[in-house]
Amino acid sequence: MNMTQCPECEAAVENHDKIQGEVFPCTDCGTELEVLKTEPFAVQPAPKEAEDWGE
Amino acid sequence: MKVAIVGGSGYVGGELLRLLLRHPEVEVTQVTSDSMAGKPIGRAHPNLRKVSPLLFTPHASLGPADATFVATPHGESMARMPELLASGGAVFDLSADFRLRDPDQYPRYYGRTHPHPDLLASAVYGLPEVYREEIRTGSFVAVPGCIATASILALRPLVKAGLVDPQHVIVDAKSGSSASGRDAGPAGLHAERSGVMRAYAPAGHRHTAEIEQEAGVRVALTCHGVEAVRGVLATVHVYSPRPVEEKELWRIYRAAYGSEPFVRIVHESDGIFREPEPKILAGTNFCDVGFAVDPHAQRIVALAAIDNLMKGAAGAAVQCFNLRAGFPETTGLEFLGLHPI
Repeated sequence: MNMTQCPECEAAVENHDKIQGEVFPCTDCGTELEVLKTEPFAVQPAPKEAEDWGE
Repeated sequence: MKVAIVGGSGYVGGELLRLLLRHPEVEVTQVTSDSMAGKPIGRAHPNLRKVSPLLFTPHASLGPADATFVATPHGESMARMPELLASGGAVFDLSADFRLRDPDQYPRYYGRTHPHPDLLASAVYGLPEVYREEIRTGSFVAVPGCIATASILALRPLVKAGLVDPQHVIVDAKSGSSASGRDAGPAGLHAERSGVMRAYAPAGHRHTAEIEQEAGVRVALTCHGVEAVRGVLATVHVYSPRPVEEKELWRIYRAAYGSEPFVRIVHESDGIFREPEPKILAGTNFCDVGFAVDPHAQRIVALAAIDNLMKGAAGAAVQCFNLRAGFPETTGLEFLGLHPI
């Protein structure tokens, strides 16, 4: 399975030689997606950089 | 194909010339303007100087053509249309004179009784995203208004999906100064217009009738003039009868426009231009459509941005012409815009 959906906008997302942990933008909504696994292909929104409040 | 432009000295006429003089399948044989008859087209449109030997000719000298584009002020093509249609070629009217199917709307919105109500039904509303097949086979196209184009493309998919309370649809439109035309009067003077955020039609704008005709719901339209030369941004507020998620809106807009050559769905999670923005569309035939869900108010906000002189006028007319002539729909309309601008 080389296809999945963007979890934010449901755009078709194809695995072109991506590797686990790779982060790439959805071509439709721009959400940064992280490759969870390649077989079957699965992605999730990449963790956003949290604000550092100096704690 | 040999084409003529009637009323070529205005901003829309200039945009038609800009597109058609570089269209690979077109020869512009005539461009009329009574006020500029005998003068070169570059006198009215300096961006076109020395690209063509064409001179403006009087309207009365108009000859036959395979296609005639009519860019005269509202009210002028009403009377002349039987004669133009009789000349045999396809006619693309960029005025409002044949956009409305109901003749009773003309006195209400345009202050005059239509002299040829029998012809209204023969005009195809020139919005390819809705009437593509009718445009291919029609010989008389009424090109939509700019604010109407943006509003309809944003609103119609939501109405079709049943996500609209039909009694509460609000359209808030902003437009650049070129939408007022070349003869805008004192309100268009730089001293008066520069810097304004002018609610020039808080209610009762003429395009209300077009939007309602094509979207099928009652619309409350407010129009503002803003600090720009080109561009229309229509912000549509609708209240959904049930909760909606953005994923559903993606599905709805993809179904409506996923294969459209000039409509792009723009709703991005990052970047500077996350939602539709007219500024980056100047000179292009794109309509960028976006949306957001406001769960607090059970509201959907739909946005559409265009260049009023392109997808809102001349670009749409050429798109319709391409369809009618059997050319690829994007011919002569491939400009991708400028950034930064």
